[in-house]
Amino acid sequence: MKVGLVSPYSFDAPGGVQFHIRDLAERLIDLGHPTSVLAPAEDDTELPAYVESVGGAVPVRYNGSVARLAFGPVVAARASRWLSAGEFDVVHIHEPFAPSVGLISLRLADVPVVATFHSAQERSRAMQLAYPLVRPGLERISARIAVSEDARRTVVEHLGGDAVIIPNGVNTRTFAEAPVQPAWQGTAQAPTIAFLGRLDEPRKGLPVLLGAVAAVRARYPGARFLVAGRGHLEAATRGLGDHADAVEGLGGISDAEKASLLASADVYVAPQTGGESFGIVLVEAMSAGTTVVASDLNAFRRVLDDGGSGFLFSTGDSASLAQTICRALDEPTESRARRAHARSAVVRFDWDEVAARILDVYAMVTPAPGPVSALRPLLGRLFSRGEP
Amino acid sequence: MNAAEIALVVVAGLLLIAVVLVTAARRLDRLHRRENSSRATLEVQLVHRAEAAIALAESGLLDPAGAIVVADAGWRAAFGAERLVGEDDHSATGPSHAAGSARGLAESELSRALRTALGTPEDQGPLAATPDGAAHLRTLAHHVYRVQLARRFHNDAVVQIRHVRRTWAVRLFRLAGRAPMPRPFEMDDEVDVLDPGPDATPLG
Repeated sequence: MKVGLVSPYSFDAPGGVQFHIRDLAERLIDLGHPTSVLAPAEDDTELPAYVESVGGAVPVRYNGSVARLAFGPVVAARASRWLSAGEFDVVHIHEPFAPSVGLISLRLADVPVVATFHSAQERSRAMQLAYPLVRPGLERISARIAVSEDARRTVVEHLGGDAVIIPNGVNTRTFAEAPVQPAWQGTAQAPTIAFLGRLDEPRKGLPVLLGAVAAVRARYPGARFLVAGRGHLEAATRGLGDHADAVEGLGGISDAEKASLLASADVYVAPQTGGESFGIVLVEAMSAGTTVVASDLNAFRRVLDDGGSGFLFSTGDSASLAQTICRALDEPTESRARRAHARSAVVRFDWDEVAARILDVYAMVTPAPGPVSALRPLLGRLFSRGEP
Repeated sequence: MNAAEIALVVVAGLLLIAVVLVTAARRLDRLHRRENSSRATLEVQLVHRAEAAIALAESGLLDPAGAIVVADAGWRAAFGAERLVGEDDHSATGPSHAAGSARGLAESELSRALRTALGTPEDQGPLAATPDGAAHLRTLAHHVYRVQLARRFHNDAVVQIRHVRRTWAVRLFRLAGRAPMPRPFEMDDEVDVLDPGPDATPLG
């Protein structure tokens, strides 16, 4: 099956949607399906062989943050050329609400279209204004996929109808087999607690974690907090006094270092305060085998099976976070049981499973062989049964 | 305003209306073609599911009573009720509403029969432990899931057609022609099948 994937966001800057498309494309190619990706990218950005650029993207304010999107006549012409040259059996457009090349390809495609909705969005005024314009285009989507329950709710509210939920994929083996880094490993007296995410984005919850440092150190004086992510740590830890030394900044880290950090640390903390539709990093931490402590956002609650695969605390509440971290460290047997549950629960997020489900969806929208052919073997068996 | 100007305005107005109507008609035509193909897919998937259920019933792995009930429900779903896709797809009549709901009832009965015969995923443990049973369960799980997908995508197409056909232009100018108003395909498609995992090769 020839598959065309369309990314609305630029491949110049990495992001969750782009990673998902990259991993999906590579998995489909591995499975023997020729796949091409259409995405915005600058000319000097190095792209994998299967990615075709529609040209540079411009930063646009959209859905509460600045996204790099592509549109205009040149983009439309390149998208049209890609569609006719690719001779795809199915075109899979990601985040079709985003005013970018996805929306343009939707208009141009004359083969069955599958769309994946990644983000959860509030009903906005802009959306309501734009809706009559995009509705005829969105009607061309034969199958809708949502990556989470929250993304699905957005689809239902905006478009009516329904969407099937297929979560984002994770290469769980990469994390399960990640080498342990001794410097990041803790001991019973000096456990290590890891945080990942941009330091200057309050939504990622670093202030919530720093607010819990003193209380955790009161019980575990040797506890170390490993903070990975771009931004200025000194400004954030100034208020901690003596405890500032317990917070170690690792700066921006590579994917391999991230896997090692998650495999080495005793506890991974996800103190995000909102805006999360899925929580892929939780799945990565679960695969790596660390104990997960996360805020009780709906998205996290679902990924963690309501706490069966980790520990939940009240979102934004540092005291609750400190208490929960201590509880996870105080009860190693309980933590071990939850880690074991997590390891079996991540199977449903593994790319093997996710890619198979996405291929099921492709099969449902591409022209089916006539029902008669499906009936034949059954009829044959029924009629032959009476014979000796 | 002289006569020529008035004529020009009238012609422009008529042209505009014509463009709106042609656009609406093409949009509706596209949606109807999508609905046709999703209905055909649903039909194929329903038959596959019934077939997988009958194969399981014939395998001798179920208890005899469960096997008879599942085989009977599977047979009635696949052959007893009418098809969702007519023999001649080009006829304007399409499947009647009664046929759709009779088929839905038959398919729901098959789901119920399977639920009772298979029990909870825990009950299916011993069956999944045998190589034959695992293969049958995996095939059935696969087709149960695909029916759920196909039905959802089909009903999405139906919802959108019904939305467009409610608009004034479509109703006033009868843009839908004689195409029957499609109805969502209602059925109970929940069957908890224990999927024994990729190690078990699906049948067929």
